[in-house]
Amino acid sequence: MEKNFLEIENVTFAVSNKSKVNNVSLNIENEGDIVCLLGPSGIGKTTILRTIAGLEKIHSGKITLKNKILSSNEIHIDPENRNISLSFQDNCLFPHYNVLQNIQFGAARNKEKKINLEIKEVIKFLNLEHIIDKFPHQISAGEAQRASLARSLLSKPDLLLLDEPLSNVDQSFKEEIQVKLKKILSELKITTIIVTHDSYEAFYLGSKCGIILDNQLKQFDDPYNVYHFPNSVEVVKFLNRGILIPAKVTGENSLENKDLGTIKGNFIKHYPKGSDVQLLLQPEDLEHDDKSNLKLEVVDRKFRGTNFIYTLKTLNNLLIPVFVHSHHIHQHEVDEKFGIKRPINIDHIVCF
Amino acid sequence: MEIIIKMGIKKFNIWYISSFLISLVVAIPIITVFSSFFETTSNYTSILKDTFLYDYIFNSIYLLVGVLFLTFTIGVGCAYIVSFYSFTGVNFFKWALILSFAVPAYIYAYSLTAFFENYGTAFSILKNIFGQNNYNNSIPKFDGMLGAIISISFSLFGYVYVLTRSSFHYQSQNLIELGKNLGFSKKKSFFKIILPSARPAIVAGLSLVAMETLSDFGAVSFFGLSTLTTGIYNAWISFDDLALANRLSFYLLIFIFGLFILENFSRKKAQYHSLSKGGFKSKKIIYLKGYKSFLAFSFCFAVFFLSFLFPVLQMLYWTIIFPKHFIDLNSLQLFINTILLVSFSSIVLIFFAFISNYGNRLSRSKVLEALTTFSISGYAIPGIILAVAFITFISWFDNNVIKLLGTETIKPIFIGSILGLVLVYFVRFYSLACNGIKSGYLKINYSIDESSYLHGFSKFKTFTNIHIPYLKNSIFLIGVLISIEIIKELPITLIMRPFNFETFATTAYIFASQDLLEAAAAPSLFLIFTASIFILITSRYIVRD
Repeated sequence: MEKNFLEIENVTFAVSNKSKVNNVSLNIENEGDIVCLLGPSGIGKTTILRTIAGLEKIHSGKITLKNKILSSNEIHIDPENRNISLSFQDNCLFPHYNVLQNIQFGAARNKEKKINLEIKEVIKFLNLEHIIDKFPHQISAGEAQRASLARSLLSKPDLLLLDEPLSNVDQSFKEEIQVKLKKILSELKITTIIVTHDSYEAFYLGSKCGIILDNQLKQFDDPYNVYHFPNSVEVVKFLNRGILIPAKVTGENSLENKDLGTIKGNFIKHYPKGSDVQLLLQPEDLEHDDKSNLKLEVVDRKFRGTNFIYTLKTLNNLLIPVFVHSHHIHQHEVDEKFGIKRPINIDHIVCF
Repeated sequence: MEIIIKMGIKKFNIWYISSFLISLVVAIPIITVFSSFFETTSNYTSILKDTFLYDYIFNSIYLLVGVLFLTFTIGVGCAYIVSFYSFTGVNFFKWALILSFAVPAYIYAYSLTAFFENYGTAFSILKNIFGQNNYNNSIPKFDGMLGAIISISFSLFGYVYVLTRSSFHYQSQNLIELGKNLGFSKKKSFFKIILPSARPAIVAGLSLVAMETLSDFGAVSFFGLSTLTTGIYNAWISFDDLALANRLSFYLLIFIFGLFILENFSRKKAQYHSLSKGGFKSKKIIYLKGYKSFLAFSFCFAVFFLSFLFPVLQMLYWTIIFPKHFIDLNSLQLFINTILLVSFSSIVLIFFAFISNYGNRLSRSKVLEALTTFSISGYAIPGIILAVAFITFISWFDNNVIKLLGTETIKPIFIGSILGLVLVYFVRFYSLACNGIKSGYLKINYSIDESSYLHGFSKFKTFTNIHIPYLKNSIFLIGVLISIEIIKELPITLIMRPFNFETFATTAYIFASQDLLEAAAAPSLFLIFTASIFILITSRYIVRD
């Protein structure tokens, strides 16, 4: 039977016996896959990366890379012998070497490997040309982060671990780097685990996303499923991309909310008729319609460039987010009434 | 070959064991001192308890407090002025202030007394300028406790100055700007941000000063001050009671441990290496003009004059007045002997202190850290006691172990030999090397090591390729500091040196002990000159930071 590229089996990730993330099991099936880990600060995401890199030990479970056990209760391969590269959040460039020399550390490790990646190419792709002669203390945090990323990429590790790799990078430059990073990782087939706060970054870069909450890996799935089919109330609340409203199941394909009336769609999971549920309502589930008799009060409007997110208040004081394209001509101010198209149809109904 | 290590065994790697052994070797003479606590002492003990013991203790405390206050004020003051401001002569003062290292406290004491004593140099100057008169009553006298505090402080403030200045240099402008942002005045920024950030360096400097002060013999005995050190010397030399001498040393050690514990306790869990997240920003130097520039210059010049020029000029004056002593001195041989000792000892000290520090860093073991802290207290034990403890241990080992093995005696290898001398220097100055490197290591974030491992560097390669290049300037500076200490060192050299092997320090002492202070001037001047060369070698590095 063909094994997974990386296997984490029932591992508790902890520092100094202080439990952080318990009993984690996840696999990366193929070489070159990118996995993103999302979770609030201090939950233990960095500890997971440090443990996989070999900087922390494990006391239960097993970590296997390319069919080789890296960590278990009895075995611990030192970090220098794992060929795993970890790019730290706070960059950790060697302070007494300039940026180029720092980057060359990655290339030096890799000189025996045949890879189609030149230092110049990486420097250009990460826009580091102007700082290669500078020392770490002379560059900005974002530049240092990019230099650290370049060093990690050039070492062409079996597994690349990136801890908030773009957290200090300018927003204007971030998307460009994300695109290039995805391309280069895919071309070089570098298997990568990325820890990030940014769910959009995770959804874009990762072929799979893991959500870590309450000391557990709550969900590990592809980004579409994580967003559209969250498996718990905690994941919904963490992603903050919708709200849960009370509803009663009225049929095979329908439910009823006191404020919004009948809502139709396909249930992901079967609920008996008459069940009281919490329905996940996401901003794109409702449509604007000024002619509709269902009018809700606007309490907030956020302009997000391509779209607006309206927050509407119902008679029972529920606050509902609604997505509207920004070129939409009917703009509404706070306190105005906002019409919602009826009947409400949702492609897939997620309830808890 | 891939290394797969069973959990649990890993902690005790070669670095841990090396570090443990080094600390243990350094701790042997200290353990010998401690073990003497259980030995019986002579009748002198009860006499001492009823008479001088409290004098010894309180005089030591007064001396310590006075010296710490003065070295802190001068050392931190000078470090702050030359690090944060630019004024006429600032680059000169950056290294010239370190020249005070070249003057041992006992030579400073000779100079201070010779200058201010009745019919001394000050008297001669006044007579030459204003004519014959009785100036003796108008000339202040710096003797006793005050003389000792001044002599030791001007001789030792360099420790605080060098380490604090180095720490100030690495302080980020971000910290200062943060203070401004919070509305702090310059004074508040200094006391709330700049000074606390340099705390490990200041404490390291003051610890060295404290240990040197408590173990000083030359200056305090010259001023006739009764301290624990002179008590130890008297117990051993005058009453032949080694056990009591060791017991007094034990009290001294307890005192030093108390200071260490107090400092560690007050520091709690604070870390002082900067997290690189926000990036480092070089300091903006403030250019002083007008009277502010003059004040800064005057302060630095006064310290430079009092700490270095004054004793040098006094010694030079004596040497010129009595040229015969200078001509008779075998200065080349003394110079070669001194340099030989310095080179050999510095290399050995730095090498082992580095290994010990790295072992501590890797293992993060509390046991090892405690042993290292214990072992570096050797600096607080007077050189005489260390030398005697070493001889006692070698004799015991030779009688109880070597004899049983049936091999030849090892005494000639260790007693009255260069090797023995270097070993006792090693115990004595291990604290200097160890603390210096530790202070450098505090600046290297642990994630730098982790980053290195993740780039395939082994522990050894991380040590050689990352730490040594990063700390090379610190190593160089520590080497110079050790060299200067060894050039000035007196009691250990006197006891442990091979027959007819003299250095500038021993020659100066021999003349001084024969009441031939004017003859001691030439070797003292050579001693200062040699030590100054070491400082001048580093001047470029110090100015360049």
